[in-house]
Amino acid sequence: MSASHASSATIEDDRSGVARSAATTAVGLSVLTMLLAVANVLNWITTDASVASVALSTLYGVALAVAGVVTVAVGLLSASAVIDANANDTSGVLSGLPVGLLALSVVGLVASQTLGYGVAIWAPAALVCAVAAFLFGSLAREDLTATLPWGGFALFVAAVLLAGVITPSWTWDPRHLGVALTGTITVPCLAFAASLATAWAAAKATQGFGARGRQAGAYLLIGANALFMLSLLVLLVAFVVEKGAGHALRGIHLGPGLSVHVPFVMNGAGLGYDIDGVFPAIVGTFWLVFGALVFAVPLGVGAAVFLAEYAERGRFTTVVDIATDGLWSTPSIVYGLFGYAFILPRLSPGGRPNVLAGMLVLGFMLIPLVLITSREAIDSVPDAYRDASVALGVGRWETIRSVVLPAAVPGVITGIILGVGRIAGETAPIILVAAGGLNADPIRVIHGFRFTSSPPFVANDALLSATNALPYQVYAVIETGVGGSESFGWASAFVLLLVVLCFYAVGIATRMYFQRKLER
Amino acid sequence: MSVETTVNGEPEEQIETEWTEYGFGGDAAFSVRDLDVYYDDDRALRSIDIDIPEESVTALIGPSGCGKSTFLRCLNRMNDRIRAARIEGSVAFRDRDIYGTDVDLVELRRRIGMVFQQPNPFPKSIRDNIAYGPRKHGDINTGLLSRLLGGDDREREEELVERCLRGAALWEEVSDRLDDNALGLSGGQQQRLCIARALAVDPEVILMDEPASALDPIATSKIEDLVEDLAEEYTVVIVTHNMQQAARISDQTAVFLTGGHLVEYGDTDQIFENPQSQRVEDYITGKFG
Amino acid sequence: MISSIRPYRSRLDALSERATDEVVAGAIGALSVVAFGALFLALPTYSVFPVVTFALAAAYGWYRNQGATAKSLTFLATASTVIILGLIVVYLLWKSLLVFRIMGLDLFRLASPFWETSKRTFALTPMIWGTVVTTLIATCVAGPLGIAGAIFIAEMAPPRARGVVKPAVEMLAGIPSIVYGFIGFNVVNPAMSDYLGLVSLGSLFAVGLVIGVMALPTVVSVAEDAVTAVPDEMTDGALALGTTDWQSIKSVVIPASFSGLSAAVLLGIGRAVGETMAATVMLGHNQALPDPLYDVFANTETLTTLIASQYGNAITRDDFMSALFAAGVVLFVTVLCLSLLSRYIEARMQSTLGGST
Ligand SMILES: Nc1ncnc2c1ncn2[C@@H]1O[C@H](COP(=O)(O)OP(=O)(O)OP(=O)(O)O)[C@@H](O)[C@H]1O
Ligand SMILES: [Mg+2]
Repeated sequence: MSASHASSATIEDDRSGVARSAATTAVGLSVLTMLLAVANVLNWITTDASVASVALSTLYGVALAVAGVVTVAVGLLSASAVIDANANDTSGVLSGLPVGLLALSVVGLVASQTLGYGVAIWAPAALVCAVAAFLFGSLAREDLTATLPWGGFALFVAAVLLAGVITPSWTWDPRHLGVALTGTITVPCLAFAASLATAWAAAKATQGFGARGRQAGAYLLIGANALFMLSLLVLLVAFVVEKGAGHALRGIHLGPGLSVHVPFVMNGAGLGYDIDGVFPAIVGTFWLVFGALVFAVPLGVGAAVFLAEYAERGRFTTVVDIATDGLWSTPSIVYGLFGYAFILPRLSPGGRPNVLAGMLVLGFMLIPLVLITSREAIDSVPDAYRDASVALGVGRWETIRSVVLPAAVPGVITGIILGVGRIAGETAPIILVAAGGLNADPIRVIHGFRFTSSPPFVANDALLSATNALPYQVYAVIETGVGGSESFGWASAFVLLLVVLCFYAVGIATRMYFQRKLER
Repeated sequence: MSVETTVNGEPEEQIETEWTEYGFGGDAAFSVRDLDVYYDDDRALRSIDIDIPEESVTALIGPSGCGKSTFLRCLNRMNDRIRAARIEGSVAFRDRDIYGTDVDLVELRRRIGMVFQQPNPFPKSIRDNIAYGPRKHGDINTGLLSRLLGGDDREREEELVERCLRGAALWEEVSDRLDDNALGLSGGQQQRLCIARALAVDPEVILMDEPASALDPIATSKIEDLVEDLAEEYTVVIVTHNMQQAARISDQTAVFLTGGHLVEYGDTDQIFENPQSQRVEDYITGKFG
Repeated sequence: MISSIRPYRSRLDALSERATDEVVAGAIGALSVVAFGALFLALPTYSVFPVVTFALAAAYGWYRNQGATAKSLTFLATASTVIILGLIVVYLLWKSLLVFRIMGLDLFRLASPFWETSKRTFALTPMIWGTVVTTLIATCVAGPLGIAGAIFIAEMAPPRARGVVKPAVEMLAGIPSIVYGFIGFNVVNPAMSDYLGLVSLGSLFAVGLVIGVMALPTVVSVAEDAVTAVPDEMTDGALALGTTDWQSIKSVVIPASFSGLSAAVLLGIGRAVGETMAATVMLGHNQALPDPLYDVFANTETLTTLIASQYGNAITRDDFMSALFAAGVVLFVTVLCLSLLSRYIEARMQSTLGGST
């Protein structure tokens, strides 16, 4: 062991210094620019708008110029050892690749599109520059490769925007592609890319490069991604709510007694109603899901019990595992095809779509969902429970029934709820096997049963007729315009989303509740 | 010194620590003052005061669950990783408070290496396990480019791997399968691999949590030799359940007893031959669990 | 069973008696299952008879010997999953036989004409290409963003935020695809044509984006499970050597959870391949290859949308319908391969990790 202790280094982190605070400022500025660009893409601000009487693209240009200058300056100062940093002497391939790609796209686009050179010139030029940039990016000091290319890119974009090369009214027709890129979208996209680059580079600089700098850069990117992702998804839901809730709650009033009358949810569609509603679709979805449950839950849970408790691991279980995986991943439209070919002709003459077929097909889809979660739940019941019961001389089935299943019930129920959430929103199989037109009135399943004298001795015309369902309602609005306007569609989508997300929320909450209880 | 405490709401218990101040020549690597550690509401360590000298071997002994591992993890702030853990008091490393606000955890842990109670090799080859630290610290470059440009780091890496494996008494067993997955090693071999891995980053202090608990006598004695060698340059703090081992290799010994009390601390010879506390004597002679 | 205090003989009698009638009940049950299968295939209205006998046999068995009956019933449930998959395979293949006979390998021909239903020309190439392109775009969105999101939730987010974000993401995985489709149709399509001056509404690019966003929560949630499953001791080991958090994530956590991460991405790919509704309502259903091939802004067709959009036209024609079933076969084989692949990766990683975790 050599005693080359870096005794001079202290365990305190040196976060002071003008350069680092400048870098922090650059990060903040870049993040603001990114947010502005996102708002711009979402059309909350239009590209030709101006903020505080400064045109938006000028604003982008100035911000990027400042961020770019700071980034480059910090990199140069660090490399010339004016400021303290712990950058590595070389940067490595992983840093070189993006630099090379950047050079390839910038040089390629500028040479071919702006300067209008032919392939014979722009392709080799771009390649040479890319290789040079790659070598620089991998071999030079880390503080240089982390800052110069990206700060330079920001300065380039700033110049393009400030000089008015790309304005909101600019358009570009790439050859062979059926698009015409407009300035409205290009300006914010460029600004976003460049500010992302400077934010990343400046974040590295705030920690003086090195391992800690890379961590800061990576955390910035990953954090921004997470934020972006979450806000996108929340925005989606909020958007549907905003568009749909108004129409869905129209004409809401207190009915007789203490009941609330929500016309959109409780009315059928047609001449008899003042406000067209989705009640038939809700009833249809209810029956479809109910039938699927009755059919799939015994099969799924039974199979889970057999696999977890009785089956020896062997060829049979491998086949079953593959079958379960296969059923789990089979696209819903394929289930629809299968139902069309196998079930429809057997249930109704002429193979017309009907509710019973929809129940069966959705049931087929539900089986693997229930099976997998139930099996996990049963597997996670500690063996000690079984041993304790068996040691008391209780038989295997008795043990399963009285010890294992009760302990697994929360998991099984969670699985069922989540599965229901999934199939309630399924549209594709329903189109093929169960739906036909938008009925004005809900199907009447319970009143539909009657006995007949020929096999199968019971009949139910309601079960054998087509129905409407919530997801189908949304589809129908788009496809045929039947059932009303766009706002009717948004309201249906809102109700559907509400129903499905409620199932998910309840399922996840139950699971978390029982998990907590287990951990205690 | 007397410490008043309330143990889980039970009546107040008086614990008499029967040593006054332990003085030693030279500098203290760690000065711990009034250290309390809580896991949620359970107190795992109670008012620990101890100075650990440089370049020597300090053994921590005591019954299971008395907080030895907890104490060790305070010295390089690995307790920060446990959400439930809360630390009060101060720990200074070379006169700098390691729980201060501007402490760089990465640098701290690099200088204070640790071997865990449970072997925890990475699911990588034996070679990669050892070279992991130096590679991450940029001491060894084996990236694609440096290989293409003919950097000579490969040789240095070979040399380092061999040196560390020899140091941890593992070289003979694995020299012909350095590229095998480390998870294929036996538990004792994994533990020695973790020791070698800690040596490879060349720390200033090495914290060892029962490094020999899963080893056979031969490997154990090799590890003990290693610890004694290390003490020439490094500060070693070692937890052990083995009294003979503590007596053999350590310069000073600290005895923890159940409840998280540091009951006695002093020269190893003195602790084992002439303990001041009856409870420590009972523990050492095996009358007390 | 030993609890009864009857004389030894009568117990023995009961035992042998039970054995016979149980065997008979079991045999009747098994026979009725077989009979049900046969009748449901041939004369579905008469399948009510075996259903009734089965129910009677099961009830009798339940009354006489619960344990054995329960075991047989659960076995039957298990077998039914295999039977259902088998039926799906058989029916898809059987129904697509006709178009295989008409087209042969030309089903996947590389030159036009591809799809002219009036001339009985049904080549799936444009649809396969459409599926490939949308899946690629969706994977580019859902793969990297999803894994980064999972790492954020598992390793970087404060525990409190984690407790909120994880269930929220799981909930978002449940948004039905028709809702995405509705948004895509009413918002994304018009925006695309605004920004990009597209001549027609709908493009593979827009569909790929929407499907990618749709698959994102699923990928995040599965990948997060994989990252969380890496034992803390491994990360501790890296940190104790003085690495930064990011270094330990990059060089220990991600490699150790590699199988789970790839399973997550494969799952996302599977969902993208099978996604139907969003694509159906957003695309313009033009069964031709884009020109040039890489024109991602073209308005063509994918395998799933072919089935969903052409089903109405095909209903009266056996050959047309059979072509749709052929598309179903291609889809089915693709996702089955994906799921087998992820199973294989998982098994491989488990054996190389030596069952450590
Ligand atoms: N992560 C944790 N969360 C909660 N309590 C903990 C945790 N780790 C340890 N403890 C508790 O703190 C006390 C001290 O534990 P510690 O691991 O330090 O004991 P130890 O002396 O190392 O024992 P051993 O010799 O068995 O390793 C014990 O009572 C233990 O239950
Ligand atoms: Mg311990």
